[in-house]
Amino acid sequence: MKKTIAIRRNVMLISLLNLFAIFSFAQNNFPVTGKITDNAGIPLQGVTVQIKGTKIATVTNLEGTFSINAPSGSSVLVFSSVGFISREVPIENKGQVNVTMSVADNTMDQIVVIGYGAVKKRDVTGAVTGINEKDIKSRPVVDALQAMQGKVAGVDIGSAERPGTVGTINIRGVRSLTASNSPLYVVDGIPLMTGGIEYINPNDIETIDVLKDASATAIYGSRGANGVVIVTTKQGKAGKTSLNLNLSTTAETLEDRQEMFNAADYITFRRWAYYYKNPATYPRGDQPTIANDKAIFLATSDPSAWANIARGWSSGKWDGSQVQTTDWRGMVTQTGITKNLNVSVSGGSDKARTYASFGYLNNTGTQKGQSFKRYTANSNVDVNATKWLSFGTNVTVSYSVQEYGQSKTGATTVSSSASIYESARALFPYAVPYDSAGNRIYNPGGDIAYKNVAEEWTLAQDQRRTLRAFGSLYSQIDFGSIHPALKGLKYRVNFGPDFSTYRDGTYVDANSVISSGSSSASLAKAQTFSYTLDHLIYYNKSIGRHDFGLTLLSSQTKFTTDSSYISANGIAFGSQRWNALSKSYIPAANLTGYSSGLTESQLRSFMARINYTFNDRYLLTVSARRDGASPLAEGHKYSWFPSTAIAWKVNEENFMKNTTWVNDLKLRFGVGVTGNSAINPYATQGAVTSLFYPYITTITAGSIPSTTLANQSLGWEKTTQYNVGIDFSVLNRRISGSLDLYKSNTSDLLMQMSIPTVTGYTTTFANVGQTANKGIDLSLTTVNIRSKDLTWTTNTSISYQKDKIVSLSNGKQDDINNTWFIDQPIGVIYGYNGAGIWHVEDSAAYRQFNTNGSTFSPGNARPVDINGDKKIDANHDRVIIGNTRPRWIVGMTNSVSYKSFEFSIFLYGRLKYMYNTGGEAQTARGVQRTISYYNENNMNAEYQKPFYSEGSGDPYYVVLGYKDASFIKIRNISLGYSLDGKALKTTAISNLKAYVQIANPGMLFSKIAWLDMDVVGPTYNRGITIGLNASF
Amino acid sequence: MNIIKLIVNISFFSGLILMASCKKDFLKEELTTARGMEFFKTDAGIQSLATGTYYQVFNTPFSAEWSYCTANYGVDEFSVGGDPSNGVWNNYDAGFKSIVTVNNSNTQTANAQWDNLYTGIGDANLLIQNATASVSTADAIKKIALGEGYFFRAYCYLRLVSQYGAVPLKTVPGTGVELEFTRATPEAICKQIIDDFKQAYDLLPNTGAPAKITKDAVAHYLAKAYLYRASEINDSWNSATKAADLAAIIPLCDEVISRHPLTANFADLWKYTGPDGANEKLSELILSAQFTADVSTNGTNQQHLYYTSRYDDLPQMQRDVTGDRPFSRLRTNYYMFRIYDLENDSRFWKSFRTKSRLNKSSGSYYVNGDLGIMYIINQPGDNRFASYKLNDVVVYSKTNKTIPNAYIAFPAGVTTDGAMLADVRYPSLSKHLDGSRIALNETRGLRDMNLARSAETYLIAAEAKIRLAKSGTGSYTDALPYINAVRTRAQFTSGEDRAGYYDGGGALGASTSGQSPTMNSFIAENSYYESNNIAVTTAASASLAITDINSLPAGDEYVISRLGLGSVYDRMLALVLDERSRELCGEYKRWEDLSRTKTLLSRVQTFNAQASPNIRSYHVLRPIPQTYLDGIQLNGKALTADEKQAQQNQGY
Repeated sequence: MKKTIAIRRNVMLISLLNLFAIFSFAQNNFPVTGKITDNAGIPLQGVTVQIKGTKIATVTNLEGTFSINAPSGSSVLVFSSVGFISREVPIENKGQVNVTMSVADNTMDQIVVIGYGAVKKRDVTGAVTGINEKDIKSRPVVDALQAMQGKVAGVDIGSAERPGTVGTINIRGVRSLTASNSPLYVVDGIPLMTGGIEYINPNDIETIDVLKDASATAIYGSRGANGVVIVTTKQGKAGKTSLNLNLSTTAETLEDRQEMFNAADYITFRRWAYYYKNPATYPRGDQPTIANDKAIFLATSDPSAWANIARGWSSGKWDGSQVQTTDWRGMVTQTGITKNLNVSVSGGSDKARTYASFGYLNNTGTQKGQSFKRYTANSNVDVNATKWLSFGTNVTVSYSVQEYGQSKTGATTVSSSASIYESARALFPYAVPYDSAGNRIYNPGGDIAYKNVAEEWTLAQDQRRTLRAFGSLYSQIDFGSIHPALKGLKYRVNFGPDFSTYRDGTYVDANSVISSGSSSASLAKAQTFSYTLDHLIYYNKSIGRHDFGLTLLSSQTKFTTDSSYISANGIAFGSQRWNALSKSYIPAANLTGYSSGLTESQLRSFMARINYTFNDRYLLTVSARRDGASPLAEGHKYSWFPSTAIAWKVNEENFMKNTTWVNDLKLRFGVGVTGNSAINPYATQGAVTSLFYPYITTITAGSIPSTTLANQSLGWEKTTQYNVGIDFSVLNRRISGSLDLYKSNTSDLLMQMSIPTVTGYTTTFANVGQTANKGIDLSLTTVNIRSKDLTWTTNTSISYQKDKIVSLSNGKQDDINNTWFIDQPIGVIYGYNGAGIWHVEDSAAYRQFNTNGSTFSPGNARPVDINGDKKIDANHDRVIIGNTRPRWIVGMTNSVSYKSFEFSIFLYGRLKYMYNTGGEAQTARGVQRTISYYNENNMNAEYQKPFYSEGSGDPYYVVLGYKDASFIKIRNISLGYSLDGKALKTTAISNLKAYVQIANPGMLFSKIAWLDMDVVGPTYNRGITIGLNASF
Repeated sequence: MNIIKLIVNISFFSGLILMASCKKDFLKEELTTARGMEFFKTDAGIQSLATGTYYQVFNTPFSAEWSYCTANYGVDEFSVGGDPSNGVWNNYDAGFKSIVTVNNSNTQTANAQWDNLYTGIGDANLLIQNATASVSTADAIKKIALGEGYFFRAYCYLRLVSQYGAVPLKTVPGTGVELEFTRATPEAICKQIIDDFKQAYDLLPNTGAPAKITKDAVAHYLAKAYLYRASEINDSWNSATKAADLAAIIPLCDEVISRHPLTANFADLWKYTGPDGANEKLSELILSAQFTADVSTNGTNQQHLYYTSRYDDLPQMQRDVTGDRPFSRLRTNYYMFRIYDLENDSRFWKSFRTKSRLNKSSGSYYVNGDLGIMYIINQPGDNRFASYKLNDVVVYSKTNKTIPNAYIAFPAGVTTDGAMLADVRYPSLSKHLDGSRIALNETRGLRDMNLARSAETYLIAAEAKIRLAKSGTGSYTDALPYINAVRTRAQFTSGEDRAGYYDGGGALGASTSGQSPTMNSFIAENSYYESNNIAVTTAASASLAITDINSLPAGDEYVISRLGLGSVYDRMLALVLDERSRELCGEYKRWEDLSRTKTLLSRVQTFNAQASPNIRSYHVLRPIPQTYLDGIQLNGKALTADEKQAQQNQGY
């Protein structure tokens, strides 16, 4: 059982040596010749031909032929070549042996990192999938999560379009209701504190392995509940020193699926809204008057906007086409340019190996004011100091500057928009940014709720800088090299420090959309340090056909974060930004906040694992981990997390020897327990809220209990998961993949729950409830065409998952306040259901409701009266409307290579779930998305009638907002051209690849037309990348 | 053997490293930056908790919109201004249920007030428990902190019962997740309130008003609690306590009044020039929620935002600090224009902003400093003005220039209420305006909010006298001295400039905004003369004192006739309710007064045009929040739909 990364490289080294098998000659008397071709009939050059059991060998020539002298006519020839499946062919006294060799899909030989060790994929007992360097390079990505999107069955990764922000990740769905659902990231054996994957240069990553089922993740015990993502960075390799260069440039534009009403349509819309507010006072939307328009479009407040509307009246008769529509959104967008440069060198001998890289990423956002710059450096050294002692270090340092753009940080309630684009979208299409004299209009359109975004990108800044350094240092003693009696015994110590400093500076100018009228600035700093210290003992032993492996671990982790914050109003002058919040500029009265804080938490773990293999066919893994976490209550800190898994390599069995169409077949079964203590430190302590209250002018310290009730018996959340899996490759490895079925039960669910406020508290953390989750993950690779020049491969990943709540705090009772329902998935939509809108012909029906207090009229949204009592009430008529978690997540990559060209297309989709779009309030004070709304000329509309609101819009408009959210998106299309060694022979370049990629070219289908459910919003970036990879 | 030895050695070696690298209490969690709940068991903690509860109970409501939603919306005095965010609370429409239909992010949920009050009760319960358990003999713990605890609890329950009727009664601190609750009867809650107030009354000293809860503050609220119990809404069960309650009110009120004399000039109450200024320390004030400039204090008073009419979007006008940020939530109803003797009662002119200074001149005619906006609050029959809105027509006598924006309550020929309702403009209640804020859009206000002042104590006593007269004790005229004391103070005094005006917008001097005074929209005058159309006078007003209960002031007779009231009691109750409007409008009391006296339906139907089509008799109580009904259990089971309905107030 080979486990360590160092060992893993040794394996590779040995196999490398095997390839260049040393020839030697003996007395031979049976000459044999032959020709070796691949499946397509192409002659294979350089195939090693060896007489089994001897050192007699040769290689094939350019024509694929060989000639060798065998000791006898009953000898067996062994054919091997890199990338092909080795074959053994008996000579059977024939002088000519022609052989066809199949391309090896060497997936089964891939090394898979399983946590505190690594094994060949063929020996894995748990559900582990991953991607390698090739997958990462196949798409231009700025972080590792992007590279995994859609490639790993069972892993759902969302997209984030803001430069420097990573998407969300869920492995096998959501189990915990309110505790964190993000997985644990382990980089080169060291678990990261929180997140951090965005600080790793994807070009430095060799493999990413995702441990999905509990038999695999239980090895990380308390932290494995949401899956484990293991990142292995590139290491130096013994042998040739190589230099790699990657360059790419991406140009992106912001695309918006959501069309807004243009000036003319919006004007008509608002007129109808006033009409429906009071038909007696206001004219119909299609019968406008100048006087009414002046009043409802605030002509006196913004004469410039009115001048534009007045164009429509220039002929005396309304002509909306004369009104110009201002492109506010175009004003704040730009072409985003991403430049990516990576250089890496690696090399070494069998004594020392080293790898170093430098990466530079400069990403300008598609919205003005947003950008992300990142510098990464990675360096590692592995030294075999003596035969028995090796050590190594691996350090990753990254420094990034994110210009967040207009943000909510530091914003007042004037605007609730989350970005400059949203601020721009909220502006009236008929309003203009500057008046005729060229002055910037403060509130275009005259409504104080909407402020001008012109120049906004210079008026609000939110700059976030992060310096993060993490690394791993290890030292390993191989006692077997000290004394043969100790063969198989190793001791290893890992130390993984993880350090980050974060600084967030915000500045909001007095004229910014998000300002309260005075300038403001804030400065937040945080320093985090954590370390993990592992002691590991490995012992491997083979006795006959029995292979044993033992792993023992003792580990401790400590996190410390200290933070400080200051914010103030009335910045003396803008160029100071957040850099002069000092006594000499800011009077005490202008300070709006200042704080410092300290958070500490600790984890301690012990683990033992036994691996047992019999006859290289039957594999067994048993592990037990005991974890303690400081945030849990006294007496509840420790818990056990056992796991076991078995695997059976069916294809190794004798009865399978003749089933030649099956190349690999392995059955796996695993069960394990994982935990989750992902609650904030001090949650069990009931910290009181301190404050100051002024008795007239005497500022007096006071305190009140937190509104979150402290729970003194908070313990571990535990998930028990069962997994059955099959790994297969058949038909000459033309079809390969794995299928996993899993079922998990989570008990003692850690959750923050609302409680009746009569207790004096609003929420508490508690170990209550139980959820069950089941699903299927399928990864499938098919080689559809394989011929001399043309190869077509399809990679598909399909995941299905379904979760439900089994019980809650008080048995099988629904918890409506937290929208948790027994036997329903986590995250359902609960409320009144919709049945379209009321029509004139429904008058008999809605009048019945109106006699019971409703105020329905034609054009109103129509809720469903579940109990049929002609009343809509919260107790009887609310129902579960749908599930917000996708049942199906699918990803498919088709790659076609023809000669030196490679073309691929990547599809990604989420299916069968619902999204609450919120409906359309249609109060007509603000702008409106283009919709089909009810009016006298459009009675069969999708949405209700608009109602300019001074008290109430349509009371049930939200019922029209629940939509099926399924979509399948084309994420990426790429075309590459590579030059191999032959063509580059005369240059120093050993490998060269140029590529063009298009990101987000479009949707195959989307049930919600105006949203991109991949990013859960209307806007996304579409871009084109040109890149170059070169190796020297 | 060798192997075993080595393994033992290695284990020992690695064990050593482990021992060296970790302490025994590695997993101990130490909270070093905050105090835990144990703190409240110490004497310092008890006092700290008392101070914290002042913040929780008095301050937090004023940083939210539900305060006016539950007290000043849906009544005769106010309706929805230009912004409908919380219109559902005024209009009693289909969206006003146990789940309030959310109009936008500012819409207040049905449970906002409920949750806030129970949080206050939780703090009070903790305070009472810990102060009771303390072995200290110090007055600060055993009398003051304990007394404050009883007061806070009773204060919150009085609000709860006034809003919701029957509510769950919890008198011990929560220690775990409790789900089994039922609603106690108003009778049981009232008994608890009165018992608590009595305890507080016995324990508390009489120093520190209005910042501290004094014996007088308790007396005021105890009188209020008695009055609540004796009011119409409780008539089905209060007969046993009514007579004694009413009798107990008078001495309590007399006692409070004797120590809290009315301020001579009504305007002085609102003469806010900066945080903690003279107007916040007047002897008339019994209890105030405290706010101040120091940013380390947690409270932010946001009520200055809600009453102001839009002024900044009118021609020649822009937003500034002195005009405040016009959220335009509460519009002054015509009812308020009709109930005053506008010529002799100064209170209207001292409570509402009727003029704004021009602050964004454009063109050559107007300059900053001219009159920019004027509201003329005239009476039916005044035929001077052609339309409710006149731009550049009405001439300002001081400059002889026209006024860009003039609004008239009763244009020529209009004798019914409502001409000005065609637009979102109205004279704004100015009691809460705050010009001391640091920027024109700043929401954090610094003014204290008065919770109780002796003018209300007078009117509580007056109402008790009226109720006593109804039950045969004393006569209705016994109420008049109490009412007249308040009314007399409202008269213009001799030499007083009747057009003189001040509101908190004028506190720019205390603001750090750096706004130039030339940008002010605040102007120190009102439209008294333009509205009343009388010659300038500095004589004292005619007396406002009422001498004959059969001939009430014209405004009251107007209300009485609109409401169709006949009996002496109904007339007198209408008088005291009108007087409360004149004196206390916008001071977060109205809805509970109308609900308590069961006059809500008729007054809203008559005077609140927006709510009148929708209000029903069941609206006299608020809907029990759905979050409460959904969260509780009965015998270990969540409530069925019908059980929830049974726990809900009738009609919802």
